[in-house]
Amino acid sequence: MPLLCMRNIDKAFFGKPANLQVCLEVQHNEIHALLGENGAGKTTLMNMLYGIYQRDAGEILYDGQNVAFSSPKDAIAHRIGMVHQHFTLVPTLTVSQNITLGLKSPGHPFPRRRDLNQQIQEISQRYSLEVDPTALVSTLSVGEQQRVEIIKLLYRDARLLILDEPTAVLTPQESESLFVVLRRLREEGHSVIIITHRIPEVMSITDTVTILRDGRNVATVKTSETSEQELARFMIGRALEPIGRSAAPPSCAGTALQLSEVTLVEHGRSKLGPVSLCVDPGKILGIAGVDGNGQKELAEVILGIRRHSAGSILLGDAVLDALGVMERKNLGIGYISDDRHHDSLVLDMDLMDNLLLKTHTEKRFITHGLLDRKKIRQDTARAVDAYHIKTSALECPIRYLSGGNQQKLILAREMAGQPRCIIAFQPTRGLDIGASEFVHQELLRLRDAGCAILMLSADLEEVLDLSDHIAVIHKGEIMDVLVNQDIDLTYIGLLMAGKRGDERGAVV
Amino acid sequence: MDVPLIATLTTFLAATIRMATPLTLAGLGETISEKSGVINIGVEAIMLSGAFFSFLTVFATGNHFLGLLAGMAGGAAVSMVHAVVSLRCKANQTIVGLALNFLILGLTSFLFLKSFGQTTILPSIAVIKPIQIPILSRIPILGQALFHQDIFVYLAIALVIGLSVFFYKTEWGVSLHAVGEHPRAADTAGLQVDTIRYLACLANGLLGGMGGAYLVLVKLGFFMENLTAGKGYIALVTVILGRRNPWGVMGAALVVGAAEALQIRLQTMGIPIPSQVFSMFPYVVTIVVLLFSIGKSSDPSALGVPYERDKR
Repeated sequence: MPLLCMRNIDKAFFGKPANLQVCLEVQHNEIHALLGENGAGKTTLMNMLYGIYQRDAGEILYDGQNVAFSSPKDAIAHRIGMVHQHFTLVPTLTVSQNITLGLKSPGHPFPRRRDLNQQIQEISQRYSLEVDPTALVSTLSVGEQQRVEIIKLLYRDARLLILDEPTAVLTPQESESLFVVLRRLREEGHSVIIITHRIPEVMSITDTVTILRDGRNVATVKTSETSEQELARFMIGRALEPIGRSAAPPSCAGTALQLSEVTLVEHGRSKLGPVSLCVDPGKILGIAGVDGNGQKELAEVILGIRRHSAGSILLGDAVLDALGVMERKNLGIGYISDDRHHDSLVLDMDLMDNLLLKTHTEKRFITHGLLDRKKIRQDTARAVDAYHIKTSALECPIRYLSGGNQQKLILAREMAGQPRCIIAFQPTRGLDIGASEFVHQELLRLRDAGCAILMLSADLEEVLDLSDHIAVIHKGEIMDVLVNQDIDLTYIGLLMAGKRGDERGAVV
Repeated sequence: MDVPLIATLTTFLAATIRMATPLTLAGLGETISEKSGVINIGVEAIMLSGAFFSFLTVFATGNHFLGLLAGMAGGAAVSMVHAVVSLRCKANQTIVGLALNFLILGLTSFLFLKSFGQTTILPSIAVIKPIQIPILSRIPILGQALFHQDIFVYLAIALVIGLSVFFYKTEWGVSLHAVGEHPRAADTAGLQVDTIRYLACLANGLLGGMGGAYLVLVKLGFFMENLTAGKGYIALVTVILGRRNPWGVMGAALVVGAAEALQIRLQTMGIPIPSQVFSMFPYVVTIVVLLFSIGKSSDPSALGVPYERDKR
């Protein structure tokens, strides 16, 4: 009898189906992958199991019993635990307080903190999940926070652990040690479901894979009886196309974007260590690094959204230091932000107005001092055509477009007018594979046309696929810049974890 | 030191503490509420409702204890309206609080007029007498100010100590903190976010109602339209100044209380300056102190944000 059996699960949000007749069966002692693209309905399915969402139809059998959890509290009581992609830890509490949150510890309501810390240490040693129980969560790295989340589940005696995209925020080394922990958990009798869209990690640690596409089951296969190619076909419905990065065109003279000794200090804290970088025309400089290591600050400093504290930024011969965001953009900088909804779009405005956001002062859209709607409409229609944006109407609020189509509109806006430099910050975050491929092709097309591209991404694959040069950022500092050729992944992983090249011998 | 000066100082200190007590009580209530992530600027309404119902009850029964309970219930009724509208209906918490302030001002004035009619002499009740604590009350200067006070003063001090233990030493305090800082984390850890918030709102109403009752039962002995006259707003300030720490709230209440006590003394000294200038004093102090707390905000992250589990 399987540990978990979810049958014919339906769930819709605002009439839009997220799960349709989904089935999932997880055995005792197995690591089970839930594989699918962004928006395939993996997290929705697991949130229903964990009691965060309520299903519209279907049944869940857990340990042979028919269950319906109305809140995570019920799921926890049945020894199910879930680590969300966005961690659910209270930053202002200690590790130990987070782990025991909501539980009645001995001595309730006056917890014996020292005993609790002792117990946490024991779990931490048993599974080699190293943490300091007395540390404040806000002082921990994402890798450490993930360990805390896993200990939190184990402390609650979880038998079935659900991990949502656990490797998304880890360095390759951290991912590897997470896998060691997961295998250990399987030996000790736990079952693990990992939600992922990364096929190689499915191959390396799981026993069984269930693939979802567009909210439906595609297949369930034994990992030992499948291949990466087959999984890719299941996941996106066709074979993956390799990215065709041609040799870089002969470099045009000079550099396009140059940062020398740029620093950013906010509230007395250094956010960017002195950063010196240069991007040549017709080249992509990829910045690899774990999310939250100063990427946002770097991008926004170049755009002028934040003002750098020292150093100097040049675009060609123009010094950008004293210029505002609009002036910098007018000089030919395009910006693709990692957070489209927050930085790039006004969700309730239509396509035309969103496309106009950057160019509303341009003379060509103005007749007699007023905006010329006809010209704007023509311009938008052209962009929708050129970038294959799927929409019912140009008047449709951008909110109702899919993430991929929203991103295409941003590309259309930022790439218009032959920009000299593009700052692409996580340009494919949250996009499905088709849309990601499109974004990548566009970036490469622009590169070949002589644009300098600075791409910041937490997805190492993406950086390796596209970049001519790779820089690694850690805590706001550039650790090293490498030519993207025969790259040593271990070395990159170490840099991402903040270990410098000269310490390499000591660490490995 | 000469005797009149010592006497003046003692009465000034005693007055400061009496002024600070209702602010402390209401401030502690609001602190609990805000720690859970619910901001209720309707403290004024809570206090006014508490004052009105305690007066009505004591006027009818002559029993001060019943009056206190009625005041607390009156405060709780207001805070629970706020809780239901803002937690269940997910309304803007600030607007609801503001609306309640005006609603209760009108409602208590109307009910008061309905109950007692238009009179020139305000109906009054006996006030609660201070309790003299033996020995300690004979300490010079401080003795009379600290240990010859009414029961509410001692209760407020006990509450400050109790809440400090509650917030920082118990699991309940940690849960409350988690709900205000990161409700989703609290939810996924198995805590009932909304239940905890309702309880926090209830505590806010009970304590704020007690603060309002204090004004009637101890200080004034009568009720009139807009009796609280902005004390609820000052209580909000004590929460911010005190950084949602019980001792901090009490300290802030004492600062404002001292300003209030001082302005009353200055008004009666016959200085040829319009009394309104002195009346402004506590508020000027409030603004000056707030100026010095720039950039030290420690608001709970989820303050004012209703929790929606199903939100995508």
